[in-house]
Amino acid sequence: MTPSDPDGWSSAYEPLDDLDLGLLDAIREMFQAADPMPADLPQRIRFSLALRGLEIEVARLTAEDDQPVLAARGAEQSRTITFDSDSLTIMIRIDVNRDGTARVDGWLAPPQRREIEMKTVADELTAASDEQGRFAFASVPRGTAQLVVRPVEQGPSGSGPSVVTPALIL
Amino acid sequence: MDDRKPAALRAGKPDRGTRMASLVSAARQGNDDALGEIVTELTPVLWHVARAVGLSSDDAEDVLQTVWMRLLSHLDGIHDSAALGGWLVVTTRREAWRVRAEKRTQLPADQELFAELPDQAPGSEEQVIVDEQRRTLWAAFGQLSRRCQELLRIVAFVPRPDYAAVAAVLGMPVGSIGPTRGRCLAKLRALLGHHPEWSPE
Repeated sequence: MTPSDPDGWSSAYEPLDDLDLGLLDAIREMFQAADPMPADLPQRIRFSLALRGLEIEVARLTAEDDQPVLAARGAEQSRTITFDSDSLTIMIRIDVNRDGTARVDGWLAPPQRREIEMKTVADELTAASDEQGRFAFASVPRGTAQLVVRPVEQGPSGSGPSVVTPALIL
Repeated sequence: MDDRKPAALRAGKPDRGTRMASLVSAARQGNDDALGEIVTELTPVLWHVARAVGLSSDDAEDVLQTVWMRLLSHLDGIHDSAALGGWLVVTTRREAWRVRAEKRTQLPADQELFAELPDQAPGSEEQVIVDEQRRTLWAAFGQLSRRCQELLRIVAFVPRPDYAAVAAVLGMPVGSIGPTRGRCLAKLRALLGHHPEWSPE
C-alpha cells in the first residue's frame, strides 16, 4: 500500500500463473502438515447438524423413591428416579460421594447404546450406555441437572429420537 | 437408502461445481447425506480460516459448529458452489474475529497472543516441515504481514473454481479475466525471488 513497499505493486494485478498456483499448493501443504485439522472434526459437525432435525422427546418423571440406606460411614441417601418418554424409560439412582458430589447410575429400557449427556449449571458431562442400557456418571456437581439421551453416531441400535428429561436437583 | 441420495452422490464424479450445486439443492430440501458431504468437503477450509485468525483449536471448533448451524438457515439464498464457499469463509472469518476480540479483552493489553501459530511448541513447525523447499517458503511466508499470511492461508485452501468468489469477498482484487495475483502473492514472490525453485523459468 505504501511506496516503501514496492514489491507488490508491479505484478499484483497480473492474472494468476502457474507459479502462483504452485505457491498456493505449497502453502496449503505446509499448513496441512503444521496445523492439521482434527481428523474427526467433520464427523462431529455432521453429527451435531443431524441432531438438529430430529424430533426431541421429552420424558416425564413418573416415579421417585427416596431410600435412606445405612452405610458403614453413616446414613446416606440414595434416590431412584424414573422418567418415561414414548420410546424410552430412563431410570437413575443417585448416590452421594464422599466429596459431596453425586454419583449417578442409570439404565435405559429397552436396553440400547446411546450417548448420554448430563447438563449441569457448570458443565456438560457425557457418557455412553452399553448394550445393556447401563451408564454411569461417577462425579456430578450437586445442583440442577438435566439428562439428554442422544442417538449414537452410527450403527443400527439406538437410532431413535433424542430424549430429554426435565431438570432435576441432585 | 441409496436412492434417497442426490444424483451427485450416486453418479461417478461430475465436475465439482455441478456436484456442489446439486448437493446444496438437496441439502436445502433437508437431505442430511448431502449436507454431510458439504460439511466433509468444506470443513478443512474453514478450520484454516479460523486458525489463521489466531484461534485456539477449541475456539476454532466452536466457531465452526456455530457457522455450520447458521448455514442451515441461510441455505435458501445460496445456489452455487462459489456462493456457498464465499458465505462460509466470510462468516467463519467474521465469527473467528469476534471470538478472538472477546478473548483478547480478557487478557492484559500488552500480551501478544498470536506472534506465532498457536498451540505449537517453538520449532515444532520446523520439525514437520522437513522439505527444504518448504522451509524456504515458510521463512518467506513468515516475513509477510499478518493480514497477508491470513489471506494466503485462506485462499490456499479454497477450491480453485471458487477462488475468484472467495478472493473477492476477502477484499482481494479479481481482474476482468479472473483472479489476479494480489499484493500478498506478489509480495511473497518477491521475497522468494532469489530462490531458484520458486522463480519463474
